[in-house]
Amino acid sequence: MTTSDRKGNRGILLLLLLPGLLALGVSFVAPLLWLLRASFSTSALGGADGSWTLANYADVVLDPFYWRVAGNTLNYGLTVAAFAVVLSYPIALFLARTTSRWRGVLTALAIAPLLTSGVVRTYGWMVILGDQGVINGTLQALSLIQTPIRLSNNFLGATIAMIEILMPYAILAMLSGFGRLNTQLEEAAAMLGANRLKVFWRIILPLSLPGVITAALLVFVLAISGFVTPRLMGGGRVFVLGTEVFQEATVTLNLPLAAALAMLLLVLFSSVIVIYRRALRALEA
Amino acid sequence: MADKHVIVEQLVKTYPGSGAPSVDHVDFDLEKGEMLALLGPSGCGKTTILRMVAGLITPTSGRIRLDGRDMAEIPVHKRNMGMVFQSYALFPHMSVAENVAFGLEMRGVPKAERAARVERALDLVKLRGYGERRITQLSGGQQQRCAIARSLVIEPQLLLLDEPLSNLDAKLRDEMREEIRDIQARTGVTAIFVTHDQDEALSMADRLAVMSAGRIEQIGTPRQIFDRPATEFVANFIGAGNFLTGTVVEPHQANVPGLGMVVFGLDAPLGKDVRLLVRPHRFTLNGKGENAFEGVVRHLVYRGDTLTLDVDVKDRTFLVDLPTHAGTLPERGDRVTLTVARDDVTVIGTAA
Amino acid sequence: METSLPAKFAWRLLIGLLYVFLLAPIIIVFVVSFDTRQYLAFPPESLSFGSYVKVFQNADFISAFWRSLLIGAIVGLGAVTVGTLISLALTRYRFRGEGAVNFLVIAPFIVPNIVLGVGLVLVLAGFGLLDTYPGIVLAHLGITIPYTVRTVSMSLMSVDRRVEEAALVHGASPFNVFWRITLPLIRPGIIAGGVIAFLISFDETTISLFIVSVRSSTLPTEIYRYLEYSTDPQIAALSVVLILISVAVVIVLERLIGLRKAV
Ligand SMILES: Nc1ncnc2c1ncn2[C@@H]1O[C@H](COP(=O)(O)OP(=O)(O)OP(=O)(O)O)[C@@H](O)[C@H]1O
Ligand SMILES: [Mg+2]
Repeated sequence: MTTSDRKGNRGILLLLLLPGLLALGVSFVAPLLWLLRASFSTSALGGADGSWTLANYADVVLDPFYWRVAGNTLNYGLTVAAFAVVLSYPIALFLARTTSRWRGVLTALAIAPLLTSGVVRTYGWMVILGDQGVINGTLQALSLIQTPIRLSNNFLGATIAMIEILMPYAILAMLSGFGRLNTQLEEAAAMLGANRLKVFWRIILPLSLPGVITAALLVFVLAISGFVTPRLMGGGRVFVLGTEVFQEATVTLNLPLAAALAMLLLVLFSSVIVIYRRALRALEA
Repeated sequence: MADKHVIVEQLVKTYPGSGAPSVDHVDFDLEKGEMLALLGPSGCGKTTILRMVAGLITPTSGRIRLDGRDMAEIPVHKRNMGMVFQSYALFPHMSVAENVAFGLEMRGVPKAERAARVERALDLVKLRGYGERRITQLSGGQQQRCAIARSLVIEPQLLLLDEPLSNLDAKLRDEMREEIRDIQARTGVTAIFVTHDQDEALSMADRLAVMSAGRIEQIGTPRQIFDRPATEFVANFIGAGNFLTGTVVEPHQANVPGLGMVVFGLDAPLGKDVRLLVRPHRFTLNGKGENAFEGVVRHLVYRGDTLTLDVDVKDRTFLVDLPTHAGTLPERGDRVTLTVARDDVTVIGTAA
Repeated sequence: METSLPAKFAWRLLIGLLYVFLLAPIIIVFVVSFDTRQYLAFPPESLSFGSYVKVFQNADFISAFWRSLLIGAIVGLGAVTVGTLISLALTRYRFRGEGAVNFLVIAPFIVPNIVLGVGLVLVLAGFGLLDTYPGIVLAHLGITIPYTVRTVSMSLMSVDRRVEEAALVHGASPFNVFWRITLPLIRPGIIAGGVIAFLISFDETTISLFIVSVRSSTLPTEIYRYLEYSTDPQIAALSVVLILISVAVVIVLERLIGLRKAV
């Protein structure tokens, strides 16, 4: 097994690559190309039989509804990312610094929810936040409220559930980005006169920032492309790009419009990743 | 006693969950401007002592005083001590100058003064012009010096160094020894440093505390430790030695079974058993003297400056170091007479 | 550094509360699964295995479960086979277009599933593969191959090339080198890759919802569809079953090869 481009290797190489390229071609490359084509197609089913048009994009851009949807999506992504990062940070910091022998178990526990389908955890949140759910049920049993508080079937519920669902990703991203944290640096800072607060601001926070940024990006990107949670928790009242793409593709069956919306999402997605890379490079410089 | 700069009394540390104390009733003190080395094998509690003095861990019992002030209630960041960590612990997200300025910033020193003092500190450790560099752009020795500058710039009342040289290669280590000693002399800072390298301790410290299993075995000047070890552990840990056990039969004379009479310079009570120590380089070859032992050279190793011999004398073997410039050198199998002056025979446990 | 007791307590309390938040839905699903009422309410009135019995009597769930298992198994096997071949090409050969292949196997990481879902509808509809086994298997292959390539490549890179060279020098053919030397050494990576692909397929909802309806519906899509109309405790029981299967797979994997080594 040498690493040259000799003739004998061509056959082997082809054998090694062909199945994978075929599989990825059909299941990844083709869908993106078809999607692009469909977003410019007049055919109702988005096939290649239609002629080229910009009407689908025009429909999206000219409809104030989709502007609102785009705004909602951004708002949703940012809110979920902000809270998921803030709530995950202490856990990640704790796991990164603890010397407890429970550390392995606690780490596993923090990322174990990843093993549970998002649908299942969304269901859990429906039970917790529903009108007769855990919170309302408890508050009513304690006679603190008469009528249930609206915690689900709205933006609030969809946000709360999504925050929790994406937290394990944030924790994982942070843990792998906390490599530069080190208790000895904290001790050195304390020896030089920094109190706890200053140690946090000047040492812990800056050193953990790359992990935090990665986590924020990951959560944002997953949040803006999700639809199961906003749809189930939103009770049909939360309109984000994900839910609209799904709606157009499977219910309204306007595939060209769905394709145009999906392309929009992809553009939004890529720009965020580009911004992230810039930010990270700026941080490292 | 009360006017000493640093006083450590009956210090004990038992880590939670471990039975035996890691530091066991340790006492020592330092004059202003003095450099004390804590020396001992791995795990004997050196770092633990240093971290208690720094305030990074709380003593189980005992007291630490700095300028007469009890440190018990004073948190780490208010102790005004400097510390150089084994791994340097430089802040990777700050430049060299920012690292050095950190302590001043925490003390609210105005910016202009800060810059000037950082400049001077960098000068002191020969890092002038390196201020803007990132930490990762420094060599090991430069990082080491940056760490020293960072802890000196705050003008600490006490400087703590935990194996500051162990991450450097042998040559750089020698250079940095000199430099640290020099910087310490110039700044007059009082310092405690931890090492398990006896050369380092002997060459750098004003006084040494030799530790074993959480206790201080002996504390004294390098000379006292080397020439008058209080215990066999100390004698063994610092330098090599030949040990003899005998009974004092007359003043300054002990009968060593299987060897005969050995004369020594110190006083020892009559009729008592004593342990005697002869350092390998205190022997002379084929001289005349009170203590003369005949033997055969069994093995020799040429080491440049010295020649190390194993000499079989009756049923024991003496370790002997001879200077290589001392005339004709013995060969393997030669019969030789080893002599040693009475003042070069030490009685262990008679330390001042 | 040592922290004062109250500060330590407050910090631990905060961490504890965050863990409660993080694990709340799973715990609640577990509790509710023992409820017996027809509608969602808390706390449960009485505890029983009634919902579990109902789940196991629900023909839709049972067939969806077997379908999920079958699809997951095929996807796991297929993705890891294809992924191993690609990894071999990427780590053991240099060839023109290597960069492109490298990009192709990480690109699916950065395309949202929902976007891919729409594209897959278009492609599979063209081939008449919507709502068929081959259709959903293909769809899942696209999103799992990147993971298998990653895990197997990492194993391959950690294999000391000198061992392979030693076998060659001693007269083994390249095929024998792979079969007798390399394959046994990367087995943990291969198992891990296969299991991860299985788990992803088994839990996948977004893409599946686009391309399955009745004939090939998987367990997660079945749950989703059910939840659109009803939230009764049956779903909780079913969810617990789903969680237990995932956990069981992971534990087996951990026992088998040590998960940390594999991922
Ligand atoms: N945080 C801790 N918890 C429990 N035991 C500890 C802890 N730190 C140190 N010890 C134990 O205390 C003893 C002394 O440790 P210490 O680090 O002070 O040794 P040392 O003399 O500095 O050794 P070395 O030369 O290896 O650095 C050791 O037996 C060690 O195992
Ligand atoms: Mg130590």
